[in-house]
Amino acid sequence: MGTNKKYWKGLSELNQSPEFLKHQQNEFVEDLPMTEALNGEGTTSRRDFLKVVGFTTAAAALASCETPVIKSIPYVVKPEDVTPGVANFYASTFYDGHDFAPVLVKTQEGRPIKIEANELLKKHIGGTTARTQSSVLGLYDSARLTAPYAKGSASDWKSVDAAIGKSLADAAAGGKEIAILSSTIVSPSTHSVLAEFTAKYPTTKVYHYDSVSYSALREANDKVFSKKVTSTYDFEKANKVVVSVAADFLGTWLAPAVFSTAYAKNKKVSPEKPEMVKHYQFESNLSLTGANADERYMIKPSEIGKTIVALYNEVAKATGNTGVSANASIASNPDAQKAIAKIAKELAAAKGQSLVVCGLNDTDTQVLVNGINKMLDNYDKTISYEYHLNLKKGDDKELANLIANMNSGKTGVVITYNSNPVYTAPAKTGFAAAYKKVPVKISFAQTLDETAQLADYVCPDHNWLESWGDANPVRGHYSLQQPTINPIFSQPRYQGTRQAQDTLLKWAGVKTDYLTYLQAYWQNHVYPMQAKYGDFYSFWSNTLHDGLLHVHFAKAVEPAVIEPMAKDSSGKPLMTGVAAVIADSLALKKDEKKEKAEEKKVIAAEEEKKLPDVDYNAAAAKATAAKSGTWEITVYEKVSLGNGNQSNNPWLHELPDPISKVTWDNYITMHPEDVHEQKFGEMLRQDVDGSIATLTVNGVSVELPVYPQPGQAKGTIGVALGYGRKVESYKVAKEAGIDGGANAFEFLSVTNDTIQNISSEVSIAATDKIHQFAATQIHHTIMGREEQILRETSLAQYKEDAASNNPKAFIHTNQGERPVEEVDLWAAHPRPGVKWGMVIDMNTCIGCAACVVACTAENNVPTVGKDQVRRTRDMAWLRIDRYYTSDMTRKRAEEEHIGGRRMYLDMENPSFNPKVTFQPIMCQHCNHAPCETVCPVLATNHSTEGLNQMTYNRCIGTRYCANNCPFKVRRFNWFNYQGNPDYADINPSQQDLGRMVLNPDVVVRGRGVMEKCSMCQQRLQAGKLEAKSRSAYKRRCY
Amino acid sequence: MKDMSRNALNFLFGLILVGFVSIQHTSAADGKTVFKQNCAVCHALTDTKITGPGLKGVGDRVPKGDWLFNWIKNNEKVIKSGDAYANKIFKDNGNTAMTVFENLSDDEIKAVEAYILNPPVEQKVAATGGAANAGGGEGNEEENGVNPLYIVLAVMVILAILIGILRSVRLSLQNVTNAKEGQLEVEPATFTEESKNWLSNNRRFVAVCLIVLSCIGMKSCWNSLFRIGVYYDYQTGKGYHPEQPIKFSHKIHAGDNAIACQYCHNSVEKSRHAGIPTVNICMNCHKGIQEGAVTGTKEISKIYAAAGFDPKKGTYDVSKQNPIEWIKVHNLPDHVYFNHSQHVVVGKIECAQCHGDVKAMTTVEQKTPLTMKWCIECHRKTEVAMAGNAYYDRLHEALKEKYKKEHLTTFTVAQMGGIECAKCHY
Repeated sequence: MGTNKKYWKGLSELNQSPEFLKHQQNEFVEDLPMTEALNGEGTTSRRDFLKVVGFTTAAAALASCETPVIKSIPYVVKPEDVTPGVANFYASTFYDGHDFAPVLVKTQEGRPIKIEANELLKKHIGGTTARTQSSVLGLYDSARLTAPYAKGSASDWKSVDAAIGKSLADAAAGGKEIAILSSTIVSPSTHSVLAEFTAKYPTTKVYHYDSVSYSALREANDKVFSKKVTSTYDFEKANKVVVSVAADFLGTWLAPAVFSTAYAKNKKVSPEKPEMVKHYQFESNLSLTGANADERYMIKPSEIGKTIVALYNEVAKATGNTGVSANASIASNPDAQKAIAKIAKELAAAKGQSLVVCGLNDTDTQVLVNGINKMLDNYDKTISYEYHLNLKKGDDKELANLIANMNSGKTGVVITYNSNPVYTAPAKTGFAAAYKKVPVKISFAQTLDETAQLADYVCPDHNWLESWGDANPVRGHYSLQQPTINPIFSQPRYQGTRQAQDTLLKWAGVKTDYLTYLQAYWQNHVYPMQAKYGDFYSFWSNTLHDGLLHVHFAKAVEPAVIEPMAKDSSGKPLMTGVAAVIADSLALKKDEKKEKAEEKKVIAAEEEKKLPDVDYNAAAAKATAAKSGTWEITVYEKVSLGNGNQSNNPWLHELPDPISKVTWDNYITMHPEDVHEQKFGEMLRQDVDGSIATLTVNGVSVELPVYPQPGQAKGTIGVALGYGRKVESYKVAKEAGIDGGANAFEFLSVTNDTIQNISSEVSIAATDKIHQFAATQIHHTIMGREEQILRETSLAQYKEDAASNNPKAFIHTNQGERPVEEVDLWAAHPRPGVKWGMVIDMNTCIGCAACVVACTAENNVPTVGKDQVRRTRDMAWLRIDRYYTSDMTRKRAEEEHIGGRRMYLDMENPSFNPKVTFQPIMCQHCNHAPCETVCPVLATNHSTEGLNQMTYNRCIGTRYCANNCPFKVRRFNWFNYQGNPDYADINPSQQDLGRMVLNPDVVVRGRGVMEKCSMCQQRLQAGKLEAKSRSAYKRRCY
Repeated sequence: MKDMSRNALNFLFGLILVGFVSIQHTSAADGKTVFKQNCAVCHALTDTKITGPGLKGVGDRVPKGDWLFNWIKNNEKVIKSGDAYANKIFKDNGNTAMTVFENLSDDEIKAVEAYILNPPVEQKVAATGGAANAGGGEGNEEENGVNPLYIVLAVMVILAILIGILRSVRLSLQNVTNAKEGQLEVEPATFTEESKNWLSNNRRFVAVCLIVLSCIGMKSCWNSLFRIGVYYDYQTGKGYHPEQPIKFSHKIHAGDNAIACQYCHNSVEKSRHAGIPTVNICMNCHKGIQEGAVTGTKEISKIYAAAGFDPKKGTYDVSKQNPIEWIKVHNLPDHVYFNHSQHVVVGKIECAQCHGDVKAMTTVEQKTPLTMKWCIECHRKTEVAMAGNAYYDRLHEALKEKYKKEHLTTFTVAQMGGIECAKCHY
């Protein structure tokens, strides 16, 4: 065709304008700054450029050719129990004043690297939570103090001891109070240490205060049973009906690890036992417990009392008791009101097999809850105040008394232990101002936290992994805490930390260390409670090995007042205790029934005492008096951060909230409809930002972003605790939210002598600022893929057909439909030996996310920070997907003739009060996995043991595999997170100290490689080796 | 040449001496081994007391007859029988009981008894000779021969001089002819100008040379890439042998004194690491053996410095303890998991298979490449010791079924999945 066709780049060429002709001569339209660069006029001179090029080339060449000299430095004297390369496990107890867990600590070459649940104790005191798992990282926190502080600067122990000794003596002589403010002390020997201290300084008074208070539970038990204790709840025995009103007992309330272990047992279903517990939840925030409930009703915080009163009346009706006269209408949710009558009937039918719990810290409400459980005959069956809990014994009145004493100048010295009241006390109590008035302030904090910053002396305590200790969490249960590492900060390199008990003993003038004292206490007080061991040495070493002692109920007597111990002439405590003689104690151990019968006798004997008359009417009147407001707030604990004790822990910040899936943030949760009505940013997707609002609660104003949370009661909001740390050294905490987020403890108020986490004095005002959230899951619903991804069935359907809603998959072939097992593109993999697989019971999974943190710790998974999470570059090998139900289903669309587009659009929106399903997802190790077929370098392939193997050495980072993964479980190292200085603040493994937490059996991945769940290959290999070696040794022994 | 012949002479002399000694003491040789393995930890053949008394002149001290035999076999029995001398020495040694050697056969005890009663006097001489020889041999080896680099440099210098001479000769010849023809004298061109001229006149040759050179360069780069992180020379079979902070000789310990590898590397059966012996293990023997045959007290005093031990007083000072910084010889490539116990306990591999004849090494040297290729080659040809290990029972049957056609009954590591990535990389 025509060769004379002419093409123009533009009109200027066609018109041959003079400008065009001028530019035509130049290759670049704009001048390149070549001359400047070459003449050295630019920022980089030619010489510099060449120098840099030359140097980098030479450096790269040298670096790659250099043979590093690797040193092997053995111990001088090898500790008997340590074999390099072999992990040791020690039973210990985790307690930080808030969370409690009996644990096994895995140590490698003397470094604790992982926390495991103590299976021996799991039945009694529960497994581990996300916070227990992450607590090992706190040991290596660079924010920890390495020396005592005096008046704001580092000092040494000798001078600090001398100065404090003088202050204490002066205060005692001058009749000034020495106040010790502590969170609940669960250690009986520490109570004894405090008794020693009080003996030396008689003006000492110990105040117990918990940042998250359960004071009302004790007050209510005092009023109803004349026992000022916290009851224990047995969710395993409550196998018929559980009703929780605003208590997140699976996530955060009281002792979630115990409750969830027990609760899960009643969620296990088999053809032999097709029974499940029915769980009702009334709440305003969508909590982890609410997400697991069978029926969930949204109520306003001010209606908690009313719900309880309504339930009280209905239960009274159903059980033939008299109700109370009080207005108990749940105005915001008539459905809830109606449901209560039905629930009450179910409860009455399940007497002694049910539980009613309430999360409100209000004495009158809790009195009514006690009344309900009493009517339901639950005491001594599912609840027990005899087997009382020794956790959460803080008393809100004591805090108020202390503040009054500090303000009036009565207090001369204040010592804070395991407690950070300047941060956690409600703003209205004016704690900080009162604290500043005390002449001598001492803190045992491990870091320079909010209280320690104001203190005159900071005497840093050991981390729990460096400490000796004991615990008596429940009557009759004793556990020990043992150090699993030498104190990291110790002399001669540092002035060092010192265990608080040692410090107190020193100040009290007791001439012995805490370990000796602890042993003496156990010999004198715990050893006599048991009859299993005849000598103290075997008693001590066996208990230390097991981590637990379960003593006979009748013998488990806790002294009301702990006296200082008797000492010998050298000041050492006398060890005089002898083992108990329980005639048929061994028989009792075997015969649980008999033991129970014995227990009952004891309980009955104690019950005989006349119980006080309780005025339920008065309690109901007070409980329903809560004012409602346009907006009402519930301040809640997150499953991850809790009360903020571990605010500086990156693993917890990066752990997505089980419900909202938001990481690194502190926000207002609000119902999506409210968000829409208030014209806030709806954050429909990650790239649609949220709004920042000014929130004023009880007169305290903060700016927080608004997160639309399906399932949040309308007209209510929720804000999490644990953020807003004002600590210079908390580099990780600062990364969260807006400048570290807001401190929600300031929103707490005090009503009827108890600290309240709800309020109706709330106002919200919009700002014009926007906020970028970093959520790991931004799709909320299953979008009609129930059959493919998430298969659910009801108990009724399951009873009829165990395979209901779980259809077999078929594949269309030219021979018709054939089962998926029969059709394959490839030949089957040979499987001569073992074949690994992993099963998760979706019925019992409550989505608590402890496994996610455990996986992070085990597999050296890096933390990537908020910005990277936002770019969907989170690295967690194991994630828990959360799906809300939607009102729109395929069935409904078919019935109502709704078109596909509208159906899918509606499906995106969760229901007004959605049901929630959790689905843990990690690498499924597919047979003929899609990732394997696309890898150009065979870095990922299949093993004969059925594992999808990932070889980091081979990976060149094409990311084809991640794109082809149907489960989206492959994670790519976009940066060298464990070495890049940009990530130094959030990746503890970049510091010499934090690096010690790494698991030496797992490679630390570098930039540019793909990684994913290996099904803990290192553990599989170790297990196989153990089996092989044992068999090999066996032959040798023949 | 002179050096070499002297070396050979030395070596021969050593050999003859060792041979002579071993012929002389065939009867005691057995006893010597038994003694080293069982007794030497606590007893010296001299006057020195370690844990137990020194054995010099023991034959004259103890009651005659079977007493010594019975004592070695089961000293507890002798003490219990009420023997006066037995009870006396038990008391003299601070009531520390001696180990009972019921496991030793009567022959072994008799051999060790004979060895104790007549310790070989020449032993020291022989050891010295041998060790010195080995040391001397190694030290001189590197001085032999001329480094080829020097030859090349010398040739280059000679050539350069030659070129210079030829240039000046050509210039003067040119000037001579020019003078004859009455032309002007040629200015001597600079070296660079002349080189440039030469290069432009021989472009094709230069291009070919450049291509050949760059090819050689690339190939050598490629080859050197394979050597990154490999501490072993395939051509010479020589491996990494760094100088250690203490001149510890495996030859003296594992070879001459026949100390089992596991005595010092005692986690080899339990852990992934074989374990570098801690100083307290050295002190088990060196509390008594305070002077070495080769280096005297020089090297042993370094152990004492590390252990904070005062050999004169025989006391330890914990505050002066300092670990020894050994240099790791056997380094595996990065990102690989290797477990010693798997190979030693389950695989029943001898140490020497990977580490070479350490018993003959004065300085430990890497004797195998320790590359992935080397691992895989071994996994391909090594048969798994399945018999008698119950773990493999089912797997063995399954594998037999799988390789039915090939009629295989024994299987290599590779055949049971031993070369799959995730077996070593995780």
